[in-house]
Amino acid sequence: MSATVTLAQLYPEELGVAGDRGNIMAIRERLARAGASVSVVEHRVGGTLPSDADLVLIGNGPLSAIRNIYDDLQTIAPELRALAGNGVPIFAYGSGAELLGHDVTLLDGAVIAGLDVLPFRTTRVTERKVGYVIVDTPLGQVVGFEDNASLWQLDSDAAAFGTLVAGGGNGDGTHEGVVLGSSIATQVGGPVLPLNPLLTDALIRSIASRRDFDYAPGTAHADLDRYATRAREVISANAKHVFSRI
Amino acid sequence: MSSLSGLKYFVPVVLGKAVRALAKIRGGGSAFPGYVTTKLAPRFLEDVTGQFRHGIVYVLGSNGKSTTTHMLTEVLRGHGLKVFTNPSGANLPQGIASSILAESSVFGRLDADIGVLEVDEAFALEFAATVPPSTVLVLNTQVDQLYRFYETERVADMMLDTAQQAKLHIVTNREDPYLSKIAKRYKAGDATTAPDITYFGASDEVIAKAPHGLFNATDYRDADLAPEPHAALAELVSTDRTGASITVRGEVVDVVLPAKGLHYGIDAAAAIATAAIILGDDFEGSSAAKAFAAMKPAYGRGELLAITNRQGGEEQVEFVMFKNAASLQLNLDALPEPPEQVLFAIDEGTPDISWIYDIDFTGLDHIDVITGAKAWQIALRLEHDGMKIGAVEPDLRKAIDLMKAMPKPNTGMKTWIVNYEIMMLARKQIGFLELENQR
Ligand SMILES: [Zn+2]
Repeated sequence: MSATVTLAQLYPEELGVAGDRGNIMAIRERLARAGASVSVVEHRVGGTLPSDADLVLIGNGPLSAIRNIYDDLQTIAPELRALAGNGVPIFAYGSGAELLGHDVTLLDGAVIAGLDVLPFRTTRVTERKVGYVIVDTPLGQVVGFEDNASLWQLDSDAAAFGTLVAGGGNGDGTHEGVVLGSSIATQVGGPVLPLNPLLTDALIRSIASRRDFDYAPGTAHADLDRYATRAREVISANAKHVFSRI
Repeated sequence: MSSLSGLKYFVPVVLGKAVRALAKIRGGGSAFPGYVTTKLAPRFLEDVTGQFRHGIVYVLGSNGKSTTTHMLTEVLRGHGLKVFTNPSGANLPQGIASSILAESSVFGRLDADIGVLEVDEAFALEFAATVPPSTVLVLNTQVDQLYRFYETERVADMMLDTAQQAKLHIVTNREDPYLSKIAKRYKAGDATTAPDITYFGASDEVIAKAPHGLFNATDYRDADLAPEPHAALAELVSTDRTGASITVRGEVVDVVLPAKGLHYGIDAAAAIATAAIILGDDFEGSSAAKAFAAMKPAYGRGELLAITNRQGGEEQVEFVMFKNAASLQLNLDALPEPPEQVLFAIDEGTPDISWIYDIDFTGLDHIDVITGAKAWQIALRLEHDGMKIGAVEPDLRKAIDLMKAMPKPNTGMKTWIVNYEIMMLARKQIGFLELENQR
């Protein structure tokens, strides 16, 4: 395989406080071990979003940092919508994902308008959900760590990323995240992609099918997979542990 | 103070001490006795600490509270002051109350010239109403414990609000974007009346040499994201393997640091700036340097402990303790070369470790044993870098056995890079008991 894959990460400083670099690292490393070459483009305020991006990633950051990128995000919205319209998957985590929904209602009632790229809206609440989270998805079981104070309300025709086995998810007691085509928005951190090779491989496969190359993990992936499996076992065993909030 | 006002504390203090003695026999918690006394005599803490000639100093910050509290305490003692301080980590209000109670006479007297208290930033403002600070030292605002605070800005405000409770002096970090702007909170952008504001910092050369910077949080609420420039009373001008040079009032003070690392150098500048502003003309660089030279390393920060390996050989364990991304990265950056034998450990005491993907591990060329409940997660992270990993053994006792089975390293020293909880457990397992008051 000799494909070159372009990953675009939006605002790595402002929306990259939750180990979001790890999500990039997982995709890059698994592609590289399958023989692909990978180029990571970090989009910063004032930059231009690459029109040939194969995957767009956005991560988590505090409200204070959102102030800093908000105008730029509005500026690149047409390019982002064009990519999504061309079937380029978006992988969105945390507050970055929330900005791609309809809107975000803050604790004081203020509303931040989102880009309407993903079919959900967010309400920030006082009670935090913190701890390990387990979600059954059509791809298989996804585990990670959640840390947020957000309720996600999906559009009536929208599909959730999965069903909760442990943790708080969207806040409705049942669902986690939202999917639209090959795009995924989730509040499962940890970061989620290194911990869940099945999810990472699903994202890679949607890139591969769009770009028309073959992707199959092999022996070069064995250690990554083995460590992920053991890490997931411990997380599943410890998921009942609720981290106290002081 | 009259004997009459002293007597009013007799019953509450005796009761508190009795509860404390019982709690100790039962091996129980240390916060409850403080609760008993403060309930029976709510003004007890303020009255006791109000007798200190130089008042109370709060030490706040995302990182380095324990270390700096220790440094400041020893520098002040080096100037002949009697200093009261709380045990490292016992930084919640009831814990501090209990340690004040433990050292108070039954008449509500505590023989000290000054109190230096490490205070948890989330409780500091509330605690200031009970034990008003004369000086507040704020070390740094780092992206830390997001599971607890979420917004770094919120932590910054907790500390800035507390600093403004200081009756005499605010001492803070010129290199920290949030903290460097504290003067803006006062009318006309400057606190011309009490409290006065003093800065510590590091020279441009020192900062430029730091591979990953200082890790202070970006101030996104201000159009100017960077720190505000100020003159620093104490400035870190160089660091080397064992120490640092700090200029204060035109004098260069060479200090021995408890452990390698830029953050320890900045903590030392913070302690020196605070001592200098409190002591005024009585501050002497030579006394400060002498105090640093005599300082024992704080628990887990550069501490060397003797162990016997499986072959019966005597070696040392060097503990490198971290709390978060900033302290781990700064500790790794301070390694003079990749350590020969390395144990790396994190357990559930650090709930969210997603930040390990932001760490640059090039300071290590291999890891012998990874342990703790998060061991597999760490191995997964390091496999993404292609790091050479000897063994992954989540059970700490077995992991320590694996380290002991390795031959004595050429340096005579094994390096254990651990979070706080593992440090406490590992210390016990190699036969070093927990001390009640490490200072
Ligand atoms: Zn817990």
